Amino acid sequence: MDIILGIRVKDSVIVATSKAFTRGISILKDNDDKTRTLNQFNLLAFTGDSGDTTQFAEYIQANIQLFSMRENTEMDSKSIASYIRQQLASSLRSRKPYQVQIMLGGLNKGIEPFLTIIDYLGTRTDLPYCAHGYAAFYTMSLLDHHYKENMSLEDGLRILKLCHEELDKRMPVDFKGLNVKVIDKDGVRDVEF
Amino acid sequence: MSINDISYRFSHKSQLDQNNNDELPLNINNFNLNSLAPSISIPPISQPTDFLRAHTDDDINPDCNIKIAHGTTTLAFRFKEGIIVAVDSRATAGNWIASQTVKKVIEINPMLLGTMAGGAADCQYWETWLGTQCRLHELRNKERISVCAASKILSNLVYNYKGMGLSMGTMICGFTPKEGPTIYYVDSDGTRLKGDLFCVGSGQTFAYGVLDSNYKWDLTVDEALYLGKRSILAAAHRDAFSGGSINLFHVTENGWVFHGNHDVGPLFWEIKEAEGSFNNVNS
Amino acid sequence: MSTLASEYSNEVTHDVIEHRFNPYSDNGGTILGIAGEDFAVLAGDTRHTTGYSINSRYEPKVFNIGDDLLLTANGFQADGTALIKNFKNQLIQYHFNNDNKKMSIESSARLIQHLLYGKRFFPYYVHTILAGLDSEGKGSIYSFDPVGSYEREQCRAGGAAASLIMPFLDNQVNFKNQLDPETGNKKQLKYLKLEEVVELVRDAFSSATERHIHVGDGLEILIVTKEGVRTEYYPLKRD
Repeated sequence: MDIILGIRVKDSVIVATSKAFTRGISILKDNDDKTRTLNQFNLLAFTGDSGDTTQFAEYIQANIQLFSMRENTEMDSKSIASYIRQQLASSLRSRKPYQVQIMLGGLNKGIEPFLTIIDYLGTRTDLPYCAHGYAAFYTMSLLDHHYKENMSLEDGLRILKLCHEELDKRMPVDFKGLNVKVIDKDGVRDVEF
Repeated sequence: MSINDISYRFSHKSQLDQNNNDELPLNINNFNLNSLAPSISIPPISQPTDFLRAHTDDDINPDCNIKIAHGTTTLAFRFKEGIIVAVDSRATAGNWIASQTVKKVIEINPMLLGTMAGGAADCQYWETWLGTQCRLHELRNKERISVCAASKILSNLVYNYKGMGLSMGTMICGFTPKEGPTIYYVDSDGTRLKGDLFCVGSGQTFAYGVLDSNYKWDLTVDEALYLGKRSILAAAHRDAFSGGSINLFHVTENGWVFHGNHDVGPLFWEIKEAEGSFNNVNS
Repeated sequence: MSTLASEYSNEVTHDVIEHRFNPYSDNGGTILGIAGEDFAVLAGDTRHTTGYSINSRYEPKVFNIGDDLLLTANGFQADGTALIKNFKNQLIQYHFNNDNKKMSIESSARLIQHLLYGKRFFPYYVHTILAGLDSEGKGSIYSFDPVGSYEREQCRAGGAAASLIMPFLDNQVNFKNQLDPETGNKKQLKYLKLEEVVELVRDAFSSATERHIHVGDGLEILIVTKEGVRTEYYPLKRD
């Protein structure tokens, strides 16, 4: 029941992930970070089979950093999305596929805000706002209602607040709050929420 | 040598790269960890994992002939003066209590402790193997390994075997100058978490109950040792798969210190009388 | 694929016939090891069974494997034999490489762990017990689960009648739940003499023979002391 939420606004992208790490019937950790920073302008959020998630995210992170060292150029968001999708697609056709759902938020070429979700089957959809898992059932209608093209970051965070309140009210389990990160022209930063 | 050559030498080959040439991914001996482990043989059939499950998993097949020990309570928590590690000592196979004297704290080396929950052999074998890897790290780098790195060696190892039936839930506990007292939770599906307080095993919920409600960062060593012991006692009392005796450890900056083996039998009555607790039981 | 003949035609169906791969069997029997102050005994009955049939009344399963070590692997006899054969071969290699140095019981125990864990995904179906003297000359028993987790113990019963014998041993060797009649306190632990231990072992096996169908026929006790290994045989009921 991990929550992964993303909203693309004017000149920036908001990514929110739940802080609870659950194993069986116990919450083992209440300050878990389900994201990895890939480079200055790109953030990867993930959920899925535990073990696979961090292994896959760190594999992607390392390869993207390796690419920029070899080629002396940063990968842009769309290339990263293609790369991740390709990795998941070939994994799906192997003996032991990674069971991971991915959300990638970033500024394409450091300018254009970009948000995409990719599931373990390799289905990629670039969207203005999106969510994984049960959170989608509660929040998509809210976002459909309030989201405007080119809205400001403040307005985006305001909608995220609405989403958080709704999830807090209706989700049957405590997800220990949200980690919120914003990617804008200054890079990736944590936001007090 | 160009930067490309260097980075190629150190780049991580995804498992996918190996799988794509459609070889059996079970040639597990190929993982590149400078492993001291011998090769592990596999039954010559198409689905070795199903085979193992059919013969060893008593949840799926109660009549299976090989019963692997399960059921445990283990805990570890960080506090001002280091780390407390407390565990029970019971091993069960189905309803049979196979042993009441199991050592569930594995002394990886004089500075590092690992705990045992799940398959006894898996924990014992791979944590002693981890000890050899830590020693090799010391010899190669002239420096003690960090808890962070040690736990990652173990988690990467078990991740290589994911889905093949390893069963372990372990806490790697240690104290290093740059990290301070540190606990990592590592389990057999590849999870690795850093944290202040963990309880692992079938009695974990009972141990959490006592531990969470009395835990403070500023505990004295004696208070912390008692809390660890009391939390395991609570689990031994409520969880049928936990019991025997309690082993207590304190991890300090100079390494770990053993604080005794406490038989649950007399300990229960002692604590009941001293605390006036356990009023569900009449003496 | 199979061909079915019916009244009208020969029909070819495409059902796959599945055969469950079951390379395991249980050959019954039970084993028992007890460590004393300066000796260790390892005993086993000599009945060999499959299902309800008795195959042999004298099939020894406790072995003197050299270096004053006793080893037994009870459960599936083929796996037990394979394990012990493997260990003996490793021991020969060890002697060859180390100027005929005796292998200590601590090292032997670790070696057996590696042999068992080497088949983690296709286990030996055996409960293994190793007996001998430690580096201080004290009696010592190591017991292993099928995949190699092990522990040094004072006593251990394994195999078919383990659940009948182990509680008896807890009481008589480790004095569990026994009080000292003089003081009323917990009875103090003390080492048993060899004669007492052999009597305990004989009682344990004759009682297990009364209540377990896979135990009986004969009892072979191997005893290791600083003088070396000797074997004693006592008949058990043959019904």
